[in-house]
Amino acid sequence: MNKKIISIVLGIMCFTLTLGICIQVRTVKNSNSTVSQNYEENNLRAEVLKYKEKYENKYRELEKAQEQLEQERQNSTQNNESLEKKEEEIKQGNKMIGLSEVTGPGVIVTLSDSKQEASSVLNPSSLLVHDADVLSVINELKNAGAEAISINGQRLVPTSSISCGGNIIDINGEKVGAPFEIKAIGLPEQLSALSRQGGYLEILKNASIGAELKKSNNITIPKYTGIISYQYAQTVE
Amino acid sequence: MIFIAILIGCIVGVLVGVNAPMISYTYSSYLAIAIIAALDSVFGGITSVINKNFDLKIFVTGFFGNAILAILLTILGQKLNVDIYLAAIVVFVGRMFVNFAIIRRYYVDKWSNMVKKHEKKVSKIEE
Repeated sequence: MNKKIISIVLGIMCFTLTLGICIQVRTVKNSNSTVSQNYEENNLRAEVLKYKEKYENKYRELEKAQEQLEQERQNSTQNNESLEKKEEEIKQGNKMIGLSEVTGPGVIVTLSDSKQEASSVLNPSSLLVHDADVLSVINELKNAGAEAISINGQRLVPTSSISCGGNIIDINGEKVGAPFEIKAIGLPEQLSALSRQGGYLEILKNASIGAELKKSNNITIPKYTGIISYQYAQTVE
Repeated sequence: MIFIAILIGCIVGVLVGVNAPMISYTYSSYLAIAIIAALDSVFGGITSVINKNFDLKIFVTGFFGNAILAILLTILGQKLNVDIYLAAIVVFVGRMFVNFAIIRRYYVDKWSNMVKKHEKKVSKIEE
């Protein structure tokens, strides 16, 4: 009698224990554990870095080749007046469309996301710098006579586009994140009119977004690293 | 009889557990801590059998009581934002190791005694 009760009780206990273990093992197996996810993410990140390095190596090679080309061109045009003139024209054109590095006086506008906590406002999106904000600032800079503009090292050329890409913005097809450092070459006194009352920087500041304008006598703007190709536009004779 | 009951219990538990519906991931931490508590009770029960003070009532209440208390403590810890389940794990697993040490000593002693007896027999026969 006593033995019967003991065996029944032990049987029930074993049943509950194995049942619990089985359910737990199945649950853990089924829910994607965070460890494996992290592992996958790390692999992807490593791959991205590898390709980035490859890209940078290729780019360095390209730069070297371009330097060589420049040298060759100079050598061949040295003693010919008309060719030298043409060479000057090419240089002038490159400077205009952004294919050569330029330096000069200008301003640096820095746009950064608001430091306010996202939970403290109704619409957290209003605390971020958007592509439209960058576009408006660029427009004002151009209006003030900026000759060359770059955003976080991305040179603006006639074919450049600025679009929203989630929490970053796409400029020239490259991903650029906040804070945005917009460099512009031009007459600093004119360009600094951007921070006037009622200007766009003032509007951004009122929205608690960080917008700073700094004059500088020595700004270097890198050249455009992509390719500008004109396939459809033909010169009218 | 007892072993048959244990065996049947284990087999039925596995069969039901494989086919049972899964619980959501949030509750799996409670179940895990309950399993640890129950396993601790099992080791405690084996130790008490060795020490010859095994009591079924204490064993059963410890088995279910520890599991439920561990779950409740885990819930309380989540409400208070303190990882109380860590304390439960430390206590239960620590006790499991202590109990296992007692069980191990008991059986190692038994085995070495058997070996000694066997050696004595052999030497007696040789004499």
